[in-house]
Amino acid sequence: MKRLRAWFLAPSWTVMLTLFLAPLVIVCAYSFLTRGVYGGISPPWTLESYQRLADPIYLAILWRSFWVAGISTILCLLLGFPLALFVSRSGKRKNLYLSLVILPFWTSFLVRTYAWMFLLRDTGLVNTALQKLGLIHDPLPLLYNNGAVVLGLVYGYLPFMVLPLYATLERLDPNLLEAAADLGARPWVTLTRVVVPLCAPGIRAGTILVFIPCLGAYLTPDLLGGGKSVMIGNLIQNQFTNARDWPFGSAISLTLMVIVMALLMTFIRRDQEALL
Amino acid sequence: MKRRGLALTIYALAAYLFLHLPLLILAAFSFNQSRFTVWQGFSMHWYHAALEDSQLMEASWNSLIIATVATVASTIIGTLCAYGLWKRSSPVLAGSLYLSLVTPEIVTGISLLAFYQWIFRFLRVQLGMHTVILAHTAFSIAYVVVIVIARLRTMDGQLEEAALDLGANEWQAFRHVTLPVILPGVIAAALLAFTVSFDDYVITSLVAGVNSETLPMVIYAIARRGVNPVVNAISALIVVGFGSLILLSERLRTT
Amino acid sequence: MNRRIFLLGVTGLAACTRDTRPRLNVFNWSNYIAPDTVPKFEKEFGVRVRYGIYESNEEMLARVMGGNSGWDLVFPTDYIVKPMLANDLIGPVHRDLLPNLGELEGLFQKPEWDPELKWSVPYMVTAAGIAYNRKLIPPPRAWADMWDPRLRGRLTMLDDPFDTIGACLKKLGFSVNTTDPAQLGKAQAEAVRQKPLVRAYLNAEARDQLVSGDVLAAHMWNTTAQQAMDSSNEVGFVYPLEGYAVYPDASVILRESSHPELAHQFINFLLRPDIAAANAVTARTTTTNAGARKLLPPDFRDNPTLYPSREVVARGEWAKTVDPSTQRLRDRLWTEIKSA
Repeated sequence: MKRLRAWFLAPSWTVMLTLFLAPLVIVCAYSFLTRGVYGGISPPWTLESYQRLADPIYLAILWRSFWVAGISTILCLLLGFPLALFVSRSGKRKNLYLSLVILPFWTSFLVRTYAWMFLLRDTGLVNTALQKLGLIHDPLPLLYNNGAVVLGLVYGYLPFMVLPLYATLERLDPNLLEAAADLGARPWVTLTRVVVPLCAPGIRAGTILVFIPCLGAYLTPDLLGGGKSVMIGNLIQNQFTNARDWPFGSAISLTLMVIVMALLMTFIRRDQEALL
Repeated sequence: MKRRGLALTIYALAAYLFLHLPLLILAAFSFNQSRFTVWQGFSMHWYHAALEDSQLMEASWNSLIIATVATVASTIIGTLCAYGLWKRSSPVLAGSLYLSLVTPEIVTGISLLAFYQWIFRFLRVQLGMHTVILAHTAFSIAYVVVIVIARLRTMDGQLEEAALDLGANEWQAFRHVTLPVILPGVIAAALLAFTVSFDDYVITSLVAGVNSETLPMVIYAIARRGVNPVVNAISALIVVGFGSLILLSERLRTT
Repeated sequence: MNRRIFLLGVTGLAACTRDTRPRLNVFNWSNYIAPDTVPKFEKEFGVRVRYGIYESNEEMLARVMGGNSGWDLVFPTDYIVKPMLANDLIGPVHRDLLPNLGELEGLFQKPEWDPELKWSVPYMVTAAGIAYNRKLIPPPRAWADMWDPRLRGRLTMLDDPFDTIGACLKKLGFSVNTTDPAQLGKAQAEAVRQKPLVRAYLNAEARDQLVSGDVLAAHMWNTTAQQAMDSSNEVGFVYPLEGYAVYPDASVILRESSHPELAHQFINFLLRPDIAAANAVTARTTTTNAGARKLLPPDFRDNPTLYPSREVVARGEWAKTVDPSTQRLRDRLWTEIKSA
């Protein structure tokens, strides 16, 4: 019996060990090395990269990243919950509506980002429409700011919130809702006091699936933010490209992952509704 | 469960509009005669350009192959893994899968690049389709496991017990009892894995080789040079293509 | 079962009839070659060429750093050649395989970064200056004009640390290649001062916004500006009075290449005056090839953006490799500017 179960897990073990954990160990090692003369890595071993990180400027970047990621996650939750609710109550058409949520994400993420740039530019559709309607006179600076970045992130990660929410909502026992109604609760009260708490696992899962990628995002802040504000993802990417400082980039990456793991451990209790 | 209410439906409509609006705009302007935001007449010119662009076509083909192979591999491996984890928990494996989900793409990308560079010192392996496929498989597995295990948890474990009691071995129980029940979850997982793979830019751009340019890479290159409706055209084609696939599969399911 | 065997057979046959001509893998900047150059080469030499493109040196470097990228020929900017050499990425240039080397302009036969042309062969040259929309009156003439409060929200700077810090250095009268931390610090302060006016840090993306008038003044490479001017009379370009950075690009054969002789043949082919001229015209750049310059169409040859007058050329400063300690300082300053 035990042999078969091992056989089930062996392929994943192999893949995870070779293609995920081993590379991470390499990055960990890199973070303790020195930058090569013109880039890359070289001995000696040193803690210098981590010491550099203690600088307030990098802490400020981390803080800003948390802030942007946090707002994006909350917005995803607020916008995604009703949508997930709608899909879960669509009876036979559930899968169709779910697929419609995912469909835009089969065009390239970059294309969707460029579509938003197209819409938000000074001469873009939104401004042109508002001007034609006489609501504004000069174009609004909708692009190249933090707001645009949040919009881009919310748009990009909404399905990662909707899918887990939908998964828990779908399994919701309708009898519970009936019971609540029978006890005299109005729909809104049922929603907040019954539905939402029962969806807690889905909310937790969705929050993680959205918050963490947003934290490490770099394309969206770069494209929609006009390169004007640096988030952790941009910082890491810059180290591996312009600065060619692999050790420092690795150190930042590892620090980010440690922070993320710490967050996860406090947020996700190892109970049955855990993600895995 | 039809208690949807008008407010919810209106909201959903608005939400879908939000999700699809950029695409509709993109599609509309893919028919624009001129390159710029000003509408200057209907034209299929950009579609011709897109289909004649050999680099774009080759990249699309590469993306399709990579996504398909990676999806098949990660779905199989992931489903087996989910089943194994469901039966018996393995904190280390679950932890690594979790970690792979939450590691920022840039970190995964450069770690794989560093890994391949190290491998290269011992085996003369070059960057190419295989390195991309392996990378995609690796990061897709966690998604598959998450979805399939969620589905498994809704399943009654007693069905399997019954099968085992009736004389089936574990593999038969899995194949003939559990698998059919979780199949919708497996398909949903495969769908997500395909999406994630097809759409990936960051990791792919780091580990791709000479002959393994993917569609997101080409689109990024084109779009970085400014507005180009060829990008609109190819996006519209992709959406229509996949959209039809979904509609078709829905039709097949419900008939 | 039969169908599977049939399919296998067909695939096998298809594999056998695979193209066996040698293939050269060339990795170059986007839009940096005439459309028929590669087909002509393939035809004349009976080979295949895979032509890939990139948008920045960093992108190219990230791929070839490991020595297993599969590319044969790449085109770094001059200041990247030294780091590539230091990382043992470059294979030697055999001058005897390049009879057309004499076609290069005298200046580029002994370039600063590789005086004996042992490792690289100059290709084309770009420079950074100010592109502007003619709605802006008076038009900018110097870097100092990019700090004009009138331009708030309507100006863009390049998203490149060397370029933007370089512009600030030039504004203050320093060299773009300076290693003096005090000078670099002052340049960073200038950039931070300018930031509230900056709409975004953009490279080629600014081109369309310049044409449409969203942007009135853009820090831009002369090739991009020329492309903008091709599509609109509304756009002009100027080399700032304080001076500007110049970036020669060169072709380099990677050490990992399995076709060095073929790579040499391709470089030699690119050095042919007619080919070089066609490339320069398509890419809208300045060629390093004297023979090609004679073949350029007159309006191109006298184009002040791409072939400026002697006195403008004298104001230009070639970009040099940044030494490691300064690199770290520059990187830190760039992070500070971007997160200000």
